[in-house]
Amino acid sequence: MADFAQTLMTALAVGSLYALIALGYTMVYGILKFINFAHSDIVVLGAWLSFTMAQRLLPMLGLDPHNPATTPPLWVGEVILLASMAFCSLIGFAIERLAYKPLRKAPRLNVLITAIGVSLLLQNVGQLNFVFGPSPQKMPALLPTWELLRVSLPSANGNRDVVVGLVDVVIIVTSAVLMIALEYLVFRTKTGTAMRAVSFDIDASALMGIPVDRVVSFTFVLGSALAAAAGFLYALKYPGLNQPAHATWVLLGLKAFVAAVIGGIGNVRGAVLGGFVIAFVEQFGAFYLSSNYRDVYVFALLIAILLVRPSGLLGSTVREKV
Amino acid sequence: MTQQGLATAPLESARPPRERGLVGTVVNSAWPVAVGLTVAAMMHVMLPTTIGPFYTRIVIDSGIAIILAVSLNIVNGMTGQFSLGHAAFLALGGYTAGMITFYGSLLLWNSPAKQGGFLGSGEWLFAFACLMGGIVATLAGYVVGLPSLRLRGDYLAIVTLGFGEILRVILQQTRPVIDSVEKLKNAGAAQLWPPPVGGAVGFNGLPKYTNLFWVYAFATFMLVVAFRLKRSSLGRAMISVREDEFAAQAMGVNVARIKVLAFMIAAFFAGLAGGLYAHESGLIMSPRDAGFQRSLDYVLMTVLGGRGSISGVMLAAIILTVMPEALRDFDQYRLIVYALLLIGMMLLRPQGLFGIHEVWDWRPRWRSRAATTRSMPAKGGRPNA
Amino acid sequence: MHNSQPPAPSPQPPAASSLLAVENIGISFGGLKAVEGFSVRLPAGGLYGLIGPNGAGKTTVFNLLTGVYPATTGRISLDTQNLNGLKPHEVAAAGIARTFQNIRLFPGLNVLDNVQLAGQLRAREGLASTLLRTRRYAHEESEIRRKAFELLDLFGLQARAEEPADSLSYGYQRYLEIVRALAAEPKVLLLDEPAAGLNSQEKIELAKSIRQIRDRFGVAILLIEHDMGLVMEICEQITVLDHGVIIAHGSPPEIQNDPKVIAAYLGSDVGAV
Repeated sequence: MADFAQTLMTALAVGSLYALIALGYTMVYGILKFINFAHSDIVVLGAWLSFTMAQRLLPMLGLDPHNPATTPPLWVGEVILLASMAFCSLIGFAIERLAYKPLRKAPRLNVLITAIGVSLLLQNVGQLNFVFGPSPQKMPALLPTWELLRVSLPSANGNRDVVVGLVDVVIIVTSAVLMIALEYLVFRTKTGTAMRAVSFDIDASALMGIPVDRVVSFTFVLGSALAAAAGFLYALKYPGLNQPAHATWVLLGLKAFVAAVIGGIGNVRGAVLGGFVIAFVEQFGAFYLSSNYRDVYVFALLIAILLVRPSGLLGSTVREKV
Repeated sequence: MTQQGLATAPLESARPPRERGLVGTVVNSAWPVAVGLTVAAMMHVMLPTTIGPFYTRIVIDSGIAIILAVSLNIVNGMTGQFSLGHAAFLALGGYTAGMITFYGSLLLWNSPAKQGGFLGSGEWLFAFACLMGGIVATLAGYVVGLPSLRLRGDYLAIVTLGFGEILRVILQQTRPVIDSVEKLKNAGAAQLWPPPVGGAVGFNGLPKYTNLFWVYAFATFMLVVAFRLKRSSLGRAMISVREDEFAAQAMGVNVARIKVLAFMIAAFFAGLAGGLYAHESGLIMSPRDAGFQRSLDYVLMTVLGGRGSISGVMLAAIILTVMPEALRDFDQYRLIVYALLLIGMMLLRPQGLFGIHEVWDWRPRWRSRAATTRSMPAKGGRPNA
Repeated sequence: MHNSQPPAPSPQPPAASSLLAVENIGISFGGLKAVEGFSVRLPAGGLYGLIGPNGAGKTTVFNLLTGVYPATTGRISLDTQNLNGLKPHEVAAAGIARTFQNIRLFPGLNVLDNVQLAGQLRAREGLASTLLRTRRYAHEESEIRRKAFELLDLFGLQARAEEPADSLSYGYQRYLEIVRALAAEPKVLLLDEPAAGLNSQEKIELAKSIRQIRDRFGVAILLIEHDMGLVMEICEQITVLDHGVIIAHGSPPEIQNDPKVIAAYLGSDVGAV
């Protein structure tokens, strides 16, 4: 019971992160029909920018960034989050304009390869000594280590305490706010309608006078902002930041993409659902089966779902016009 | 269109089939292999003493890269499926071959050390092990090829990528290597399963059999297969699947069979190359070799070389093997250069250096234009009138 | 027009003599019935037309006949073979070849290879014989090559055999598609708007060619076409489709005078009829 509750809590937090990242994948795929491989590197950028800013800001406030006991006021975290989101949006915008836009009419495979190239570029530029450097770093604590809730629940060997920490709640709440905002934007505003129209048929939308280029750019800006938020939250949850080209980041991005595919790629709500499904499979599999194989469960689920329901859980079957 | 509709003239211009005798067939079938083996043997005898161990190693690395890139090109270039998991086959083959030579040597000769000299008993065990590595990889290729029947383009890329990552994780969980016969005999199930191939640290202690002869013998094998495939009905069927799966079906191409076949052939050679890689001195086969990063190296070679151009991909394999050695002092910039190369290629020359053509088809632009003009018929006229 | 005398109206042939027998096939996409109750009996050597306004379901019928979509109802048989449930490549092997409304050649293959591709249907070479270059393989390959050249020669394309397929002019590409289909040695040839995009002179040539193809190769042809002049001139029987159902079937004069057909076309394509 206690184990279950603790795992559930973790799964919810991790699922929120996957969902945030998956949203970026799914929006770009919905509109341009390619996997934006570089999306996970925006998450990395978001995390490392947060680290860099925290590293600089805390001393200005007279705090020691390496002392987890002294945490800055909450607005510092908010400022860092927003700044990081803004900067990543800019990068996302630039990537789309420089690398993807010239390939709008090219075969999808070429765009995919370009995206892999962009991803490699971001990773390895990030690893340069004068950027983020080639070694792991420790993220300064931005949140006090409050325990919001501590319950004693029965488990296999006697009672155990289940703790709901501030970090988990911040992650879940921040993600939820962002996702609701996105939902509103996509389904309730004119811009969202334009996005959905472009994703439905890019050529017809252009003919109907929708500024396709602007909509695509906006999608990248939006996706990158969410990715940056995910990177920031990830750094709060797992302060040991790996260097930008480390395999864990690639894997994080991959899992988020898997989440998008499982939910039905191109489907905004599907991405959120997929994020939580993946997190639950991963966390509960890791706890109840073996944590060594946690990545295996995710990919096995992906392959299984793709073979049974290639369009994902919420995706609609698209019949190829022949 | 033609004024008189269909031509009814006798068809003397159709080229008559060339008949060959049995001997002719055998010679025709085997000569490239014979030439390749001779060249490989000569390289083995002459090169190391003339160019020294450092350059010998680069030549060996190039040979292995050629096998991997050209085999991947059968899937990615000829058949148009996008695999991002080629390294998984490399690792599978390497680990299989390594288990056979390591534990085979232990059981046969009580020691995992090298046995015999050039073409000695140890080398034959090694060659057998490489082939077995190829076969195991082929079976995996069948399994990985199956999703390609239902998934297109980037979805397939993700599944193949996932396959490589899964294998990497699984290999990390393997047991430590058992390095003596006594320990092997006394080992319980816990030591033997998952297989004792070294876990996260890699498969240490393999006898280092890989030399120029075997690398280029297998590379010859690969190239003969690739070229013959390209100029055959099967090869045309593969290309038709790349060009237009739907039209290919309508022309009677069993798309499912062709795709799985392409995956299996590619996997076989990747497994073979894995055997060579695992037994190369100075290298340790490790779970990382199954992962995405390594697959990317070979994808890059096929993209750079031109999807479908065997010689172009060969050239790219050599360039991308030599270049990092040349850029060794700038190692942190190496991958940045790779990345810019990929992006630049896609923006400026997406068909790769050679596109679908072979290196020897290449002509200076002004010449090829002249040739086209000459063979073009006058507007509206019958081209063969 | 070359053929001023209208083809004799032939009555619907009895079931026994029909090569391709299609009975009552239909399919619906997500509740929408795209084609319903479609039937046609195409005799050996027959040259039939399938017409109808845009979106009437003509290409869908072709997709049903070639196994691209599985028919949810009805029965398709060729000679005595039941084609229901066969995959597209199996249908092609059984003897139905097609061309496409929007040309779908293989641009990465040259003209010759586009035609040679069909060879793999008949010559059953395995991987081993391909890689070993066995005698049988060499023989089969040269047979495929010879037949391909023969066909290309017939259509005046031989000189361009080594050129990429997409370097041909539009008209030649349309012909190459027909050549490619013929190389599969089909019993039934389905032509999907072969005259689309051709000028009037080319259309006259095409009409002639289609008839010659039928005579020379003894193949039965079912043709989708918007050009009424062409259809009326060469087709023996015409089926008219509207909103997925057959509204008329008969000889060209019967179709031309059918009030339902005229109604279906009113406002769209009347001029051509």
